[in-house]
Amino acid sequence: MISVSNLRKKYDAAEALKGISFEIQKGEFFGLLGPNGAGKTTTISILSTIVEPSQGEISIAGFDLKKNPTACKKNIGVVPQEIALYNDLSAFDNLLFWGSLYQVPVEVLKKRIDEMLHLFGLYERRNEKIKTYSGGMKRRINIAAALLHQPQIIFMDEPTVGIDPQSRNLIYEVIAKLHQEGMTFVYTTHYMEEAERFCDRIGIMDNGQIIAQGTLEELKSLSKIDETIVVSFSNLDDVLFQQLATTHNSIVREDGVVRFLSSDAKADLSTVILECNRIGLSITHIDIQGVNLETIFLSLTGKQLRD
Amino acid sequence: MFTLAIKDLKLFFADKRAMILGFAVPIALITLFAFAFGGVGGEKEMARPRRLLVADDDGSLGSKKIIDQLDSLPEFRVKRMQRDSAEMRVKKGDEAAVLIFHEGFSDSLDAGNKPPVEFKYDASKEAEIAILQGALTGKLMAMIGGKSMLKNALANFDRQYPDMDSASRAQIHAQIASDMGGGQSQQKQESFIRTTSLIAEEENSPGLIHAVAGTAIMMLLFAVIAMGASILEEKQEGTLKRLLYSPLPPNQILFGKMISANIISTLQLTVMFLFAKFAFGLDIFSHIIPLLFMILASAYACASFGMLIASFAKTRQQVQSMSTLIVLIMSCFGGSMIPTFAMPEFMQKMSVFTVNYWSIQGFYDIFWRKLDWVDPTFLTRLAVLFLIGTVMNVIAVQLFKKNALKIA
Repeated sequence: MISVSNLRKKYDAAEALKGISFEIQKGEFFGLLGPNGAGKTTTISILSTIVEPSQGEISIAGFDLKKNPTACKKNIGVVPQEIALYNDLSAFDNLLFWGSLYQVPVEVLKKRIDEMLHLFGLYERRNEKIKTYSGGMKRRINIAAALLHQPQIIFMDEPTVGIDPQSRNLIYEVIAKLHQEGMTFVYTTHYMEEAERFCDRIGIMDNGQIIAQGTLEELKSLSKIDETIVVSFSNLDDVLFQQLATTHNSIVREDGVVRFLSSDAKADLSTVILECNRIGLSITHIDIQGVNLETIFLSLTGKQLRD
Repeated sequence: MFTLAIKDLKLFFADKRAMILGFAVPIALITLFAFAFGGVGGEKEMARPRRLLVADDDGSLGSKKIIDQLDSLPEFRVKRMQRDSAEMRVKKGDEAAVLIFHEGFSDSLDAGNKPPVEFKYDASKEAEIAILQGALTGKLMAMIGGKSMLKNALANFDRQYPDMDSASRAQIHAQIASDMGGGQSQQKQESFIRTTSLIAEEENSPGLIHAVAGTAIMMLLFAVIAMGASILEEKQEGTLKRLLYSPLPPNQILFGKMISANIISTLQLTVMFLFAKFAFGLDIFSHIIPLLFMILASAYACASFGMLIASFAKTRQQVQSMSTLIVLIMSCFGGSMIPTFAMPEFMQKMSVFTVNYWSIQGFYDIFWRKLDWVDPTFLTRLAVLFLIGTVMNVIAVQLFKKNALKIA
């Protein structure tokens, strides 16, 4: 459904994309993960035809992006990171406007709008102006606007940033339903649980490159990490953490705990405890957990996803 | 308290927009108004030569001599022209007035009769006419008025006393000449220059036409710049990106903006003229066809101007900072605030580069000069407005593609 080969993008001296390649099959849910500045949004912008690539071949739904951008556009829906709606128009009028850009017949479009408003739980408030909506409700309409023309492929760039749990859950339900119906997804997110929940395959981006791609299991095996030792301390500070980091390469500090990446946690456990005691850290809790995308990313790049 | 004041001062001086509106705009306007009202350059500027159109139907040595004398005066720059052409220029608003020396001028002068001199004018240029007429009456009287009156008085005296001896007659003639030397009354001076308005002064006063046309165009320029800037707002708020995701070609996004700007501009001008009709009695329905054409042409040119200004900027805030200054300067030069004929000549020359000038003159053509819509002068103004609009649109599209439509 999507084929990207040796894609490069240069902005003056800076190279935002350094020759990335990937294939996405019809109905597949493909996640792009990476820290800020990794090149995720540039990739989405090029695939959605608003940024010209410096080099590379792209095919979307069987159409060459360079030769036939309009045909590509008709087959994709894009949910941008920002809320791209007209605040002074109602939800219905917004959807009517955005849908009409894809030349959907008015009657069909109106029917689709009603479906979308029901799907996203906003039918009762369809005639209210967007500026009266909460952030979560705006996000829902932001997604609905990209689905009106029933695209084969949907690009979602951080679609759940900064919203309430109720809206997030509703969006998750819609995403799952659309995926089940066979829609192809390209999804960028900072939320690991989203990626782990939805993605059939994941591309991990760093510094303009895809450093690894595959299913979660394939990535786990690539990272050579099987488990993490999660330790809580009563006296952890920056100085002590730095001391700890000099002795262990693969550690992550998050939410007051330190994760030690390990290929054999049971064997490494005593070493970790001894080392912590040696530098004066008081352990309050210790646990062994499985790997997640965060730890996989750390093991592959040496950096945290949220850097 | 002082801490708050210092903080506010810091914010004020850091705000470029506030600085432009607070200092640059008033300075620019003071400078422009000073030039426009002739307050710059002292007496020299105040006594600047006025252009005087002259038609010499008499073509005699006497009339040529008087015209040469007028030309040699520092107050006037005489431009000779055939009467028909000169009258046409006045009717079309290109000149304020024409001084006509009718056939028989010299003969009348020699016979001591009132010489046939006529001052034909465009009453819409009231201030210019008053200055010109005032200067002209005194000078002409000094040149021909005294001579004519003296001859008349001596002839009357001779008719009354035909039998007087030649010595006494010569003595009395000398006395009359001495008494009349340069002492003519103002009433008599004015009486021999016939004044005629070339345009029938009917229901639409030039003041009303100027107020409606000048203000409507100026306010429209403010409005259309805001409309043009909306594309930058769309960029800032992300909706432009979403428009670009759609199959709509980027040019059509711009054209869509242009169409809405043109519709709103046309509507705004129409409402302004309807208001002028119902509030002040401006007769718009007798000139509906040329008025519609001029509204469309003006709306197109103004909308294009708005798009052009917006296309230079990268953010809506930049447009807002620039627009006040640019519109006020253009309106000042173009005659929205002060009629162009009341401005110094260099400003009059500059005025033709503004949308305001061509629109306002077009509305004068309709309501004052009563030109038909097929009149070449009126068509020229329409053509200029459409040309200005098209050129600005082409530049705006290129700049928008380079600035606003480029998503990094």
